[in-house]
Amino acid sequence: MGRYLIRRVLQVIPVLLIISFIVFALVYMAGDPVSLMLPEEASQEEIDSLREALGLNDPLHVQYGVYIINALQGDFGKSYRYNQDALSIVLERLPQTLELAIVSMIFATIIAIPLGIWSASKQNSYIDLIATGASVLGKAMPNFWLGIMLILLLSVNLAIFPVSGRGTLMHIVLPAITLGTAIAAEMTRLIRSNMIEIMQQDYVRTAKSKGQKDSIVTYRHAFKNCLIPVVTIMALQTSGLIGGALVTEVVFAWPGMGQLLVQAVNARDMAIVQACVFVIAVAVILMNLLADIIYRMIDPRIKYE
Amino acid sequence: MSTNSAMEPGTSMEEQFEVSKGINPWIRWFKLLLRSKTGTTGFIIVLTVCITAIFAPQIAPYDPDAMNPANMNAPPVWLEGGTSAHILGTDSLGRDMLSRVIYGSQVSLLIGVFSVIVAGSIGLVLGILAGYYGRWIDNLLMRVVDAFLAVPNILLLLVILGIFGSNLITLILVLGVTNWVIYARLVRGEVLTLKERDFIRAARSIGTNDRTIMFKHILPNVFSSFIVISTLSVATTLIIEASLSFLGLGIQPPTISWGYMLSTGRDYLATSWWLATFPGLAITITVLGIIFLGDWLRDVLDPRSQGRRP
Amino acid sequence: MMKRRFWLMLLVLFMGTMFLAACGGDSEETASPNDHETDSDVEGEEDTDGATDDNTEVNSLVIGVGADMASFDIHNHNATNTEAIHINIFSYLVVRDGDGGFDGYLAESFENVDETTWRFVLREGVQFHNGEELTAEDVKFTLDRVRTDETLIEHNNFNQIAEVNILGDYEFEIITEGPEPILLNRLSKIGAGILPKNYIEEEGWDHFLSNPIGTGPFKFNEWRRDDRVVLERFDNYFGGDVTEWEEVVFRVIPESSTRVNELLTGGIQIAENVPPAEWDRVNNNEGTSIVSGPTTRVMLLTLKQEEQYATSDIRVRQAIDYAINNQAITEHVLAGKGTPIQSRVTPGSTGAHPDLYDVYNFDQEKARALLEEAGYGDGLEITFNSPQGRYMMDTEVAELIRGMLSEVGITANLEFMEWSNFVDMHSNGTNEEMYLVGLGNSMFDAALGMTSFHSRAAHRSGYANPELDALLDAAETNMDPEERHELYLEAQEIVVRDMPFVFLYQVENISGITDGIDYEPSVDELIYIPNINRN
Repeated sequence: MGRYLIRRVLQVIPVLLIISFIVFALVYMAGDPVSLMLPEEASQEEIDSLREALGLNDPLHVQYGVYIINALQGDFGKSYRYNQDALSIVLERLPQTLELAIVSMIFATIIAIPLGIWSASKQNSYIDLIATGASVLGKAMPNFWLGIMLILLLSVNLAIFPVSGRGTLMHIVLPAITLGTAIAAEMTRLIRSNMIEIMQQDYVRTAKSKGQKDSIVTYRHAFKNCLIPVVTIMALQTSGLIGGALVTEVVFAWPGMGQLLVQAVNARDMAIVQACVFVIAVAVILMNLLADIIYRMIDPRIKYE
Repeated sequence: MSTNSAMEPGTSMEEQFEVSKGINPWIRWFKLLLRSKTGTTGFIIVLTVCITAIFAPQIAPYDPDAMNPANMNAPPVWLEGGTSAHILGTDSLGRDMLSRVIYGSQVSLLIGVFSVIVAGSIGLVLGILAGYYGRWIDNLLMRVVDAFLAVPNILLLLVILGIFGSNLITLILVLGVTNWVIYARLVRGEVLTLKERDFIRAARSIGTNDRTIMFKHILPNVFSSFIVISTLSVATTLIIEASLSFLGLGIQPPTISWGYMLSTGRDYLATSWWLATFPGLAITITVLGIIFLGDWLRDVLDPRSQGRRP
Repeated sequence: MMKRRFWLMLLVLFMGTMFLAACGGDSEETASPNDHETDSDVEGEEDTDGATDDNTEVNSLVIGVGADMASFDIHNHNATNTEAIHINIFSYLVVRDGDGGFDGYLAESFENVDETTWRFVLREGVQFHNGEELTAEDVKFTLDRVRTDETLIEHNNFNQIAEVNILGDYEFEIITEGPEPILLNRLSKIGAGILPKNYIEEEGWDHFLSNPIGTGPFKFNEWRRDDRVVLERFDNYFGGDVTEWEEVVFRVIPESSTRVNELLTGGIQIAENVPPAEWDRVNNNEGTSIVSGPTTRVMLLTLKQEEQYATSDIRVRQAIDYAINNQAITEHVLAGKGTPIQSRVTPGSTGAHPDLYDVYNFDQEKARALLEEAGYGDGLEITFNSPQGRYMMDTEVAELIRGMLSEVGITANLEFMEWSNFVDMHSNGTNEEMYLVGLGNSMFDAALGMTSFHSRAAHRSGYANPELDALLDAAETNMDPEERHELYLEAQEIVVRDMPFVFLYQVENISGITDGIDYEPSVDELIYIPNINRN
């Protein structure tokens, strides 16, 4: 396990280097933000003088060198919009997005596990059909659409939940449902197919033939083995979850990283964009690493060559 | 973890074998399809959408671009104030909704299909190369794959499209460039197992050159899983396109796409709901059809899922 | 065993989340438990007018805005929505009186001694939010910063000031580089707030940015980025008791339908920038309504006049003008909120031309004839760029213009651009025949409005007219208000004749409000809280 872990961690280094290369390429191609910093009615002299003053006329290799050295130290530069260290701004927002992501994941798990198992154990029944249909629908709906509909129905018409913002527990319900639905749909499908596969395996059949009750077989034997894929699925969804948060946060005015990033891109605040991409990438990589470890904890039989 | 979904309700392996004895492969496939309710539904939906897209100019009652400021936000025919002239009503500039939904299918499908082709080609080539040659090529490629997987797709799309601006071609290319990793991973995995199979070893031992092995022997064998993933990707792309439109980075008018219509219609949801609902329904139904079809394809094509079944 | 471990893990995850959520809840100060609708209106116990609405405490005002403010560096931003908040914290020396003149604000009196010298006397007893008194030192400190530091975005609007001389505790003079007829306009716009010298020098600039103080009626309380800015009433405000609101919350809600939904459910009392599609919903809802007011922003089409473009022919430009039915745009797309105009200088600004307001040309026959005459009888194809989502209904307006042009035989290839790319094009003049843009006038003076027509700005349009240049140059340094006015009227007439741009309409600012709030969007697009009352 130890050696495996070290190898996994070492693999992260080239991955981060590749990401940094992609990000630099993007930032370089983005050009400079000067024209965005000035109003529409600004004159050419104003633009030129500000560009010179900000040192944006340095040659490419100078900019590149500065970038690599700084990035290695976790310094992505100052956000020109906030005039503050970009990484600290992003890290300030990370908990809000994590909070939303975790609650969404819990929502998705709570929905998906019973639904997936249930529809697998009652294969081809109406329940199965409804569950399958619902999970396909969940995938087939863009989440901004779902979010707006939920607000109209549950906030405006029924006045159960607040419309937007972050604050009390009630505030997180709608964004978490919005973000969690697609994940729940994906998980339901995967759990169902895994369960079906497991139920056809020999030891389950043996248990059944021994005359054990269906429900016991389902939960004690099949479900246990189903946990492993569930954990992996949860980890694999991290990336999708954070991606979905981009849109969900805008709909619900949730002050997380997603909104920060959307605005940074619009304003070409590339320091923030770089820091955001890095922080998200590291978060996803960590989640996958964590999943590997949990995977092993749950099932010690897995060998790491 | 396996990627196989369950069997289609009502399709057991025995039946499939029976069917596969048919002589004409098209008829065989068609009969196979008819065995599955969801597969048939999916096929009909996808076929309808394709026909709509191809024959849009013949089907659409109006020019989707013809504006009429005096007849804005007219409701569908079955609502009060609706007329049979505009069955699904008109949009915020008085354009015929039905015609726009019909024409929207063109661009939506175009994006879906071509971005998958771009992503698939990149992934296929790199995946085969990595799987076949192994060593540092494989190592490097897998790290690049990890890098892409660590950055959520929509984030990359947001940054790239935000910088370069969005039109049909860039959108297709960027969707392709950000989506190739799943194909590369899949193909690489398949190639790794295939490489050890006897017929490839045999080919190698008689001195067949690498390119021939890759294209004559490996490619056809990878194809079935490839087609399954591609089908499902088209569905995902439709959803992503709509989300990009929401963020202001999707298809730009006057090009008409469902995603764009859905996202601009959201401001009218509480007043003129038909502006967003019809393109939204079009997306949902199409995605539904594609998923059904894709699931069926997976059950039929995936050799592993067949082998494992009794 | 495995199962137990799994559920344990879930439980830990869940509790972690609860903890996070609870932390978020705690920082909400004292949210009343039964009031989940609005977590923002939590302070204040008094309940004067019989609690007409349980969701809104009487002395807290919540305003939903579309974008977060940029910074508390008043010299390093140029965003109206940021100034809209700053105006409550920082005060100007003078303010516009609405008739083209100025009233003293922090300045008790001011006088133009000669062409380049202005003398000011400050009010005595003006307090910063930390209790220190405002003196001429603070004014010099503030103006020196912005006029000397070239990296500041507002630098170019203040570098006309050559020096600031302190004459006494409350007296100072401003010397300009040359005759500067619009100095007072500059002193009453973005970046003209007065900063506390001692506070900044003692605590440092970074401390100031996160704990800003000024002399305004409200003091800073909290800024949670992309979430809210909270201001508290400053009870020692020099203007006295000017507002009933004890707390103001600017909530950032980017999605306009969400903003409207918050308004309808009572989460906010004012929703800024409500799109036309929502007006009926707001007006038909009991307890909310739409209010609107004009701005200085004018939507227009910039036309490229370099030789290789068809739009270099004045007949083509006129044809475009005649092809567009400005009234149809304002009536149908903007539901009447907008006024056709033929100039960039809107009523209320110095130098506004009364004959160019609420007029437009529309004559499709004439447009066709002009095209025929120009040699484009068989049709003309031009490129048409437009931003998307920047101005209210910009997408629809651009599409409608494309449709109107096609009716007279002009094929406009409409290309929407993402804002940053659009601004790039606009700033560098890389545009082709035509693009749609909205230009504001934060100085409320024709001087700023007319700069786009001077040959100095020719990189966008390629338009240059020596006669107009001479007029504008003369007006820029003319200290006689009457003469300046005449010069600008004449200049605008030349612009209408030459038609380098096609003017469309004056933009209106549209907000949704809760009944019981007396609010009128202001022409400068700022949200000055003392002007908002409960009725």
